[in-house]
Amino acid sequence: MSLELDKRILEIADGIKTMRIRGAGKIARAAAEALKIAAQTYKGPREPVEFRRYMDRVAELLISTRPTAVSLPNAVYYVMYILEKTEGGVDELVDAVVRRADEFIESSLQAVKRIGEIGARRIKSGATVLTHCHSSVAVSVIKTAYEMGKIEKVYSTETRPFYQGRITTRQLLEAGVPVIQIPDSSVRYIMHEIDQVVVGADTIASNGAVVNKVGTSQIALAAHEARVRVFVAAETYKFSPMTVIGELVQIEFRPETEIVPRDWIDKHPNVKVLNPAFDVTPPEYIDAIITEEGVIPPQAAILILLEKFGWALEKIKHGVIHRVEFEESLHE
Amino acid sequence: MYDELSKHGYSRRETGTTLVFTGIDKLRVAASTGDFRKVATTYNELVKYVKEHRPASMGIINALRMIGEYLLENKLKGFTDYLDKLYKKYDRDCWEAARIAANRIVDGDVLMTISNSLCVRRVFKILVDQGKRFEVYVLESRPGMEGLDTASYLNDLGVKTYLIVDSAARFFMKNCKRVVVGAEAIAINGAVVGKVGTSLLSLIAHEARVRVFVVAPLYKFSPETIHGELLKLPEGDWRLLMSPDVREKLPENYRAKAPIYDVTPANLIDAIATEYGLFAPQAVPVVIKQVYGVFPPKLMDLDEIAGKLMGMEV
Repeated sequence: MSLELDKRILEIADGIKTMRIRGAGKIARAAAEALKIAAQTYKGPREPVEFRRYMDRVAELLISTRPTAVSLPNAVYYVMYILEKTEGGVDELVDAVVRRADEFIESSLQAVKRIGEIGARRIKSGATVLTHCHSSVAVSVIKTAYEMGKIEKVYSTETRPFYQGRITTRQLLEAGVPVIQIPDSSVRYIMHEIDQVVVGADTIASNGAVVNKVGTSQIALAAHEARVRVFVAAETYKFSPMTVIGELVQIEFRPETEIVPRDWIDKHPNVKVLNPAFDVTPPEYIDAIITEEGVIPPQAAILILLEKFGWALEKIKHGVIHRVEFEESLHE
Repeated sequence: MYDELSKHGYSRRETGTTLVFTGIDKLRVAASTGDFRKVATTYNELVKYVKEHRPASMGIINALRMIGEYLLENKLKGFTDYLDKLYKKYDRDCWEAARIAANRIVDGDVLMTISNSLCVRRVFKILVDQGKRFEVYVLESRPGMEGLDTASYLNDLGVKTYLIVDSAARFFMKNCKRVVVGAEAIAINGAVVGKVGTSLLSLIAHEARVRVFVVAPLYKFSPETIHGELLKLPEGDWRLLMSPDVREKLPENYRAKAPIYDVTPANLIDAIATEYGLFAPQAVPVVIKQVYGVFPPKLMDLDEIAGKLMGMEV
């Protein structure tokens, strides 16, 4: 059976793959939207079995676009779960998927705001805050705390090689927050001025380790040394169910030309340029993870996983959700 | 290529030791005229430059103090010979410190380093000459990115080198056996002033139980710190981080702060390699007593020397 999918679904899949759609939240919402469109445009036989198979294929297509972004499979699992719970004909199933996708998108949008409010309560008044890279939720925490009159100053790291810190700086300046950019090498130098560190996360593992932009772990280390508190702001869909069964979080290595130009590389045959995108911050350097559901210590990450993805955990343990299965179905 | 890199704030800058060499060369040129005024003026300019741009660079500060004291006492008599001797001494001390550090590195080691230091380069050179095999992780070392120059040097030596961003030091530390860095100044308590990021790198190494070696001939020692004087650490702004055309694309009220040096506390350093040997940073006062014969060694302020020289009857 060939996949006849609505053009908009393929556009979303392509957008995620080529990084036209980026940022964990945007990817997750786009995937939910694609599943919703898929349900609405289903033209196959009016058999629930056929509809479920069709939706599985769309889900697999979406997950395959960015194998390392945890928010993507989480959004897909979240929406697809409703097919397990719903009985009835194709019309009922379509309705359920559409409602579930809308619910995900809405709660994801709300999450940024909620985390901003919850996180801002944790900021001390008159605080000088350090942040790394660019994270919508970390910016939300800082902006909200600033509006509450709590923030005196923000230091934002440049975040080599891509300078995402410049995006953070721009957004904070637009909100009127006094912000100073510093090079990544100077975080220990500046740490004695810092009251609290607020960063985002790409993925949170079941033991509470946080995978985030490379450099986060050494900032957390420098903060730990100086007894400065570290807060990680993260939506619950950043928690990775796969890590519960011991799966490792893959760290993506990005092109060397992001660091130095091609002709520099060509002139230096004995030099290898290594560009890991993320690093892992151990839970002992993190004071709290701020989610839209509330504040948790990182070691309690499993609580969020059980609450939010308990159903997925069961399937993962039994090997029902697994990349191998997806590959097999591609060859069908 | 270097145009492209200048967008990221790449710029060539002198190491603490080469700064001494160029300073001596300038004085030598002035002395060749036989005009004491010219020498005094050049001296005065060097003092001004160092106080403004390299206030923590003890190599040149110590050299200028010795040169100034010589001039006050002897004027130009035997001055060029004195400069030659001083130049050779600095050169020899740097090699000797490097040789001692190289002894602590064993075949098959993987090292990590930051910035660009003449003495650290010489460690690498000696290791290659000794036939020891080793690999080096080099941090790009913002601001300035002179880590690229270190990587180029290692490339030409034929050493397997990995260039990484400053943020990736902890990511790769578990692959490393030792950290080797240079210094701009050593304080009496064994604290090391180095290129910014050195203290973070040392902390990361400490956490991973990787040994940290500082290669610093004794001319990097700051006697002022005995008297409680604090070393002045200059800070730059966005100009050290990007070119003006990049700055233009950022908001008008964008502000950046770019420290150039930082202080690594003695407890994060395993040993300082000097021409007198390898010792714990906390042993600095003992070594100073040994070398100078007295403790504390007496000193004159550079501005005071420069003032006297300018006002001297010739």
